[in-house]
Amino acid sequence: MSEAFEPKILAFLCNWCSYAGADLAGVSRFQYPPTIRVMRTMCSGRIDPSYILEGLKDGFDAVFVFGCHIGDCHYIDGNVYTSKRMDLTRKLLEISGIGADRMQLRWVSAAEGQQFADFVTQLSAVVRDAGPFPREKYQLQLAALTGALNAPRLRWLLGMDRQLTERGNVYNDKVDEGKYLELLHSAAKEEYEKALILEVLREGPLSVREIASKTALLVYAVSLILNGIERAGLAEFKGYEGSTPKFIRLAP
Amino acid sequence: MTKASQNLLGSAMVVGGGIAGVQAALDLADTGYFVYMVEKSEAIGGVMSALDKTFPTNDCSMCILSPKLVECGRHPNIEILTLTDVLEVAGEAGNFQVNLRQRARYVDMSKCIACGVCAEKCPRKVPNAYNEGLSQRKAAYVKYPQAVPLKYAIDKDHCIYFEKGKCRACEKFCPAGAINFEDRDMLFQLNVGSIILAPGFKPFDPKIFDTYNYAHYPNVITSMEFERILSPSGPSGGDLVRLSDSKAPERIAWLQCVGSRDMNHCDNSYCSAVCCMYAIKEAVIAKEHSHHPLDATIFYMDMRTSGKDFEKYYNRAKEEQGVRFVRSRVHSIEKAPGTENLLLRYTDESGSLLQEEYDLVVLSVGLETSPEVLELARRMDIQVNDGKFAATSPFAPVSTSRPGIFVCGAFQGPKDIPQSVMEASAAAAETAMLLSTVRGSAISKPEPPQEMDPGEVASPRIGVFVCHCGINIGSVVDVPAVKEYARTLPHVAYVEESLFTCSQDTQNRMKDAIRENSLNRIVVASCSPRTHEPLFQQTIQETGLNKYLFELANIRDQDSWVHHDFPEAATEKAKDLVRMAVAKVALQQPLEEVRLPITQSGLVIGGGVAGMEAALALAEQGYPVTLVEKKDVLGGHGRKLLTAWNGDPIAPYLDSLIQKVESHPKISIRTKSTLNEVTGFVGNFKTTLDVDGRSETVEHGVTILAVGAHSYKPSEYQYGKSDRIFLNLDMDRAIAERQDAVVKAQSAVFIQCVGSREPDRPYCSRVCCSHSIENAIRIKEINPEADVYVLYRDIRTYGLRENIYREAREKGILFIRFDLERKPQVELEGNSLRITVFDPILQQNVVLRLDILTLASAMETRDVEPLAKMFKVPLNPEGFFLEAHMKLRPVDFATEGVYVAGLAHWPKPTEECIAQAKAAASRAATVLTRDFIAAGGVAAFIQKDQCIGCRACLECCPFGAISYLEQEAKCEVNQALCKGCGTCAATCPSEAVSLLGFSHLQLYRQIDEALSA
Repeated sequence: MSEAFEPKILAFLCNWCSYAGADLAGVSRFQYPPTIRVMRTMCSGRIDPSYILEGLKDGFDAVFVFGCHIGDCHYIDGNVYTSKRMDLTRKLLEISGIGADRMQLRWVSAAEGQQFADFVTQLSAVVRDAGPFPREKYQLQLAALTGALNAPRLRWLLGMDRQLTERGNVYNDKVDEGKYLELLHSAAKEEYEKALILEVLREGPLSVREIASKTALLVYAVSLILNGIERAGLAEFKGYEGSTPKFIRLAP
Repeated sequence: MTKASQNLLGSAMVVGGGIAGVQAALDLADTGYFVYMVEKSEAIGGVMSALDKTFPTNDCSMCILSPKLVECGRHPNIEILTLTDVLEVAGEAGNFQVNLRQRARYVDMSKCIACGVCAEKCPRKVPNAYNEGLSQRKAAYVKYPQAVPLKYAIDKDHCIYFEKGKCRACEKFCPAGAINFEDRDMLFQLNVGSIILAPGFKPFDPKIFDTYNYAHYPNVITSMEFERILSPSGPSGGDLVRLSDSKAPERIAWLQCVGSRDMNHCDNSYCSAVCCMYAIKEAVIAKEHSHHPLDATIFYMDMRTSGKDFEKYYNRAKEEQGVRFVRSRVHSIEKAPGTENLLLRYTDESGSLLQEEYDLVVLSVGLETSPEVLELARRMDIQVNDGKFAATSPFAPVSTSRPGIFVCGAFQGPKDIPQSVMEASAAAAETAMLLSTVRGSAISKPEPPQEMDPGEVASPRIGVFVCHCGINIGSVVDVPAVKEYARTLPHVAYVEESLFTCSQDTQNRMKDAIRENSLNRIVVASCSPRTHEPLFQQTIQETGLNKYLFELANIRDQDSWVHHDFPEAATEKAKDLVRMAVAKVALQQPLEEVRLPITQSGLVIGGGVAGMEAALALAEQGYPVTLVEKKDVLGGHGRKLLTAWNGDPIAPYLDSLIQKVESHPKISIRTKSTLNEVTGFVGNFKTTLDVDGRSETVEHGVTILAVGAHSYKPSEYQYGKSDRIFLNLDMDRAIAERQDAVVKAQSAVFIQCVGSREPDRPYCSRVCCSHSIENAIRIKEINPEADVYVLYRDIRTYGLRENIYREAREKGILFIRFDLERKPQVELEGNSLRITVFDPILQQNVVLRLDILTLASAMETRDVEPLAKMFKVPLNPEGFFLEAHMKLRPVDFATEGVYVAGLAHWPKPTEECIAQAKAAASRAATVLTRDFIAAGGVAAFIQKDQCIGCRACLECCPFGAISYLEQEAKCEVNQALCKGCGTCAATCPSEAVSLLGFSHLQLYRQIDEALSA
């Protein structure tokens, strides 16, 4: 790790609470390291998980998201969705090996200038300790994460969260919060592995064993997932190379 | 209508810039009246600005207040007069001449840029009144960091120059030349049509409680001081420490009713109505702040948590957060020998004398009217009541004794913020009713500038203005380097640096630069968009540029001010922020605000007191109203009520109200009517009514829901099994008719909280304590020999109602407290009744034989779900309508154009229903007076060809703005309902939903550009 390493961090701030809190830090002259580059959105609910990945792909060492405390949201409950989305994003970062710490979510009210400065200081130190984000090393994972996060199944699960847990489905059955999270996390893992396989298939026809070695997934797991992908029409059996079956990607 | 001047003026004066004054001013300014806001201090904001959190939502006070202050500060129809006092008022309703005095500020408000250099250089330190004297400020100061107007002032009483004739350091260092030692007090006159008094309260000064030793022990503090200690902007930066030794306290006690319900130490016989809740809130927040388990104990007489969601807050504090509640009035506070700790001595309910040691004691001080305000009332010829609050009638709760002068907030009577906000809107409605014929006459509507041709903005030509902000930015960030860097960025056609970009001359230069260089997009690198974007947007609009073709790079609040020691890194950051702003604005397209017409009429649902008052208040402002009532007569529950709490009879008031409503040319009454269907949205609703079996369609711009509530019919206490058992409303009638059962009764008992404060209905019904006590007194008056008992859990005669509680005890009515776990047992013995109740003072069961029993039964709503669904407004778990914001939007719904009033919102007495009804009318009028509904701007937009119809966006939209088109299997955004949060855009799996002004492309580009240097 280089001694002079100073992290570059992308920070999303919602207009009504956390941006105001950051302004108050300024008005109160609370000092924090010049690590963050700020994006203002009206609500933290506007922050698409893809933006987190975009930041990491662009060379940021971490991405921070700040929003209103739960219950304070100017748009009633946009931040409830933020919380779920960012939780999922962190989960995926963890699964991919990049590590959840590259993405942090904190609530800052318009009165918490000191807290804002403290968060930036503390979280910057965490990133500083973790060292620069080696984006070249994780190109495959980042691409697969993008694929997973854009999977309609995950999006739908996120969007339907409160419908499922609070209002019930069309049969008025409600899913309890813990069960929902379990479902979401297992879906996240599956979608990520699917995306990972689809990503390596971009290289051309590959055997199950080759896919397994490139993705670090177990051979058995690869063949199972591949089955699903084939059925969805995203990949297909291309032919034998010797006696080894090879597969290619069909997805755009 | 009261006698009013023939020569009406279309302007009003609001005296007091606290939350009540601010709300009244905003409502009036939004309905076409010019408002002079007179504030005695340097800035508006009042007491609320100094509070840490607010109950029952634990919202940060400043966060929810600040947007209202900013709105007030920049409203074209509001002129804020700070440091100003009202001297005299001549004239009459509709045309007053007000003499005022504005004290010298010694800072030129037009020049001050609030950089703070004057305060930094000022050598004199002064106790900071905003922090209750717990910290120091300078003699050159700003009241608080978020103050509106954000202008410094010089405290003449402490300024060294004024004392000794030299110093003037502030003047020497002020970069804007704003210091003016020649400033003088000014006397002037203003003519206005109406006056609204909102001068607020003064916290009781507990120095005279000698046994509490507030004056002697530093660790005995007031609740206001504790608010500042909790506040992140307070003297300890939000760290919970005590003052004597900066130690974190481990045991804190709150003592209730200090300066309230007390005729011994002070003259305040009334209950201050807010202290129970704020003490619970402070205890809860303190426990949250504390780094170790904190013992928080509240010593109280009656826990008065009757407001909306207050009882649940109290229960949570007790059961979940572990706040300890002790029913006792503490006798004395002494210092524990050899420490700074404090010893409390008190007697518990059973009579045992106890002593406990605490690190810190908070006195829950009451609210009272300050001598200055009493003097103001005298000068204005306004009567005050026994409690030294403005005298009002329960049937005209915001009208003072002088016609045309209205009152709201704590000067009307001690009350909390939502109640103050309601009254503020009600006072605005009264003014608007008085002056409706001259609405719009005192304001000017600037002509909107002609917008540039779309062709002229197609290819971006960006102008970048980099601000030095005096030395605020320039002393850290290399501004010329940032400017030169900006020149190299794509599409940038013009760059400029200036000392103060927000100053009037730079604004003019900006307009010239746009014209001379054909600029079509502007980036300003300076301070925060939250404070300054509207200013710059207005400037570019004046040149015909669409206001959305603007971006602000915050290189001060979020750069130079926070990276003081890293000038190079701060300069790099400034360049990055400018590059990001340029990239975003280059992709920005002009946004259109759709103008939708408004049906300028209202629909009021419910023909009780609240519904009728709301309808009348709208009609008197000139808007046609349809009033819908389910029954065949108007009047609702008012018909069953005997008197208001103070004994004023309801019937004459109700008869006159019904007569006014029935004869009003602008009110159409539909009795025996219900709603079948509602379509449309704010400004354009279409409602289908069932009018006595026939269908009728009404078009209306706004809706007020005032459908009332009902008494719970008890299934306990033998109710229904004897004609000697009454509910309070039946008792009203029995008393009015002097029925034998009442006249001949030798003993009468009232049981409180029947169905309220129970697991099924975990709320207090607010009116029952006063109602039972009124009836108990009446029974005692009919037959002074009768034994009258009230069995209660807490007596909740809040505010001035405390006086009838005292009167009842003086008349010999006996009060016996019971617990939920040990409710009284009622038995029927042939024709007579017997009650067994455990008396906690005697510590034994008491048996009462009685002739009549009155049950104070709960209030509950009935069949309101269909209505809630029709208007897409929420109900709370108890079945009452849930407003947009419990604190600051007590009659609005999150759905624009729909308002709530009366019992359907929450149980409340008549005068509060009336105030709320008028408030709803005032809020509704802010929509009806608009020429059009502006929708769109920053709004979501769905690209149909990319939509896969998954409806995830529809589910997460908090405003119901997205609908699913079955036939196309696509979703669509209704721009009129969209508030622009963008939650839908971040949900969409196919990026088909975007937020105009924050599009996917713009945000991706901004991210990509952030590191591209």
